[in-house]
Amino acid sequence: MLTENLLLTDWVNTYTNDLYSWALHKVSNSELAKDLVQDTFLAASEKMVSFKAESTPKTWLFSILNHKIIDVYRKKVNQPVHLDNQIFSKYFDEEGSWKTEEKPREWHEDETHLLDDIDFVAVLQKCLDALPENWSTSVKLKYLLNKKGEEICQELGIAPTNFWQIIHRAKLQLRDFIEKSWFKN
Amino acid sequence: MKKLMHILFLSCLKATELIEKKLHFKLSITEKLQLRMHKSMCDACTMYEKQSIVLEKGLSSLKEDNPDKKELEQLKKIIIQKLESTGT
Repeated sequence: MLTENLLLTDWVNTYTNDLYSWALHKVSNSELAKDLVQDTFLAASEKMVSFKAESTPKTWLFSILNHKIIDVYRKKVNQPVHLDNQIFSKYFDEEGSWKTEEKPREWHEDETHLLDDIDFVAVLQKCLDALPENWSTSVKLKYLLNKKGEEICQELGIAPTNFWQIIHRAKLQLRDFIEKSWFKN
Repeated sequence: MKKLMHILFLSCLKATELIEKKLHFKLSITEKLQLRMHKSMCDACTMYEKQSIVLEKGLSSLKEDNPDKKELEQLKKIIIQKLESTGT
């Protein structure tokens, strides 16, 4: 219908930027993010009837996009989970105590100050991207839709144990990367 | 002695795992107690938890750089074209 098309075109012009930024933030791949935004609008055009005036177009479009993002992660996560223990021997001795040289050190920096620092955030992003893919996926996934751990596991059909064990490995390495690249002394 | 301590109050490996678990799931009462005891004796893990929370906040605030404006205009055009070709 003509009016629907006009409305959609208007939404494309208004919301593409926001949808794209969000998608890119979640999947860290610009081509994939573009595809997701495109699929979102195509899905929206098919479901226009189900759009209720009580929700705003923005909320509605974001909920479609979020479902598409979850599908991407679900496919990734459904690949077999590798929980190798090699990483642990890097940080802990046989008894599970911190190796002396790997013990977390005092960072000597105020937390709010740190998180406001653009350079620190950039280092954090770089470290995150340097993680093995199935770890960084899980870490990113955790922030998807700001949901609680249980909800995410349910939504993705993975065992909570697997989930935090991956996070644990990823965080150990992430913390180490940060300490070595940011707090050099 | 160390072994017994680990069974009662966790190894650092297990303690850091619980620290991560705690950020997203509820710990059992035993786990909570063990973790608290462990931290009271272990500065490294206490530090780890503090830093892990900072990382947690940092991670959730990560934003991508602003995308290229030209690319976005191009994307809009493509989407509108596709909508028009399927819409009728």
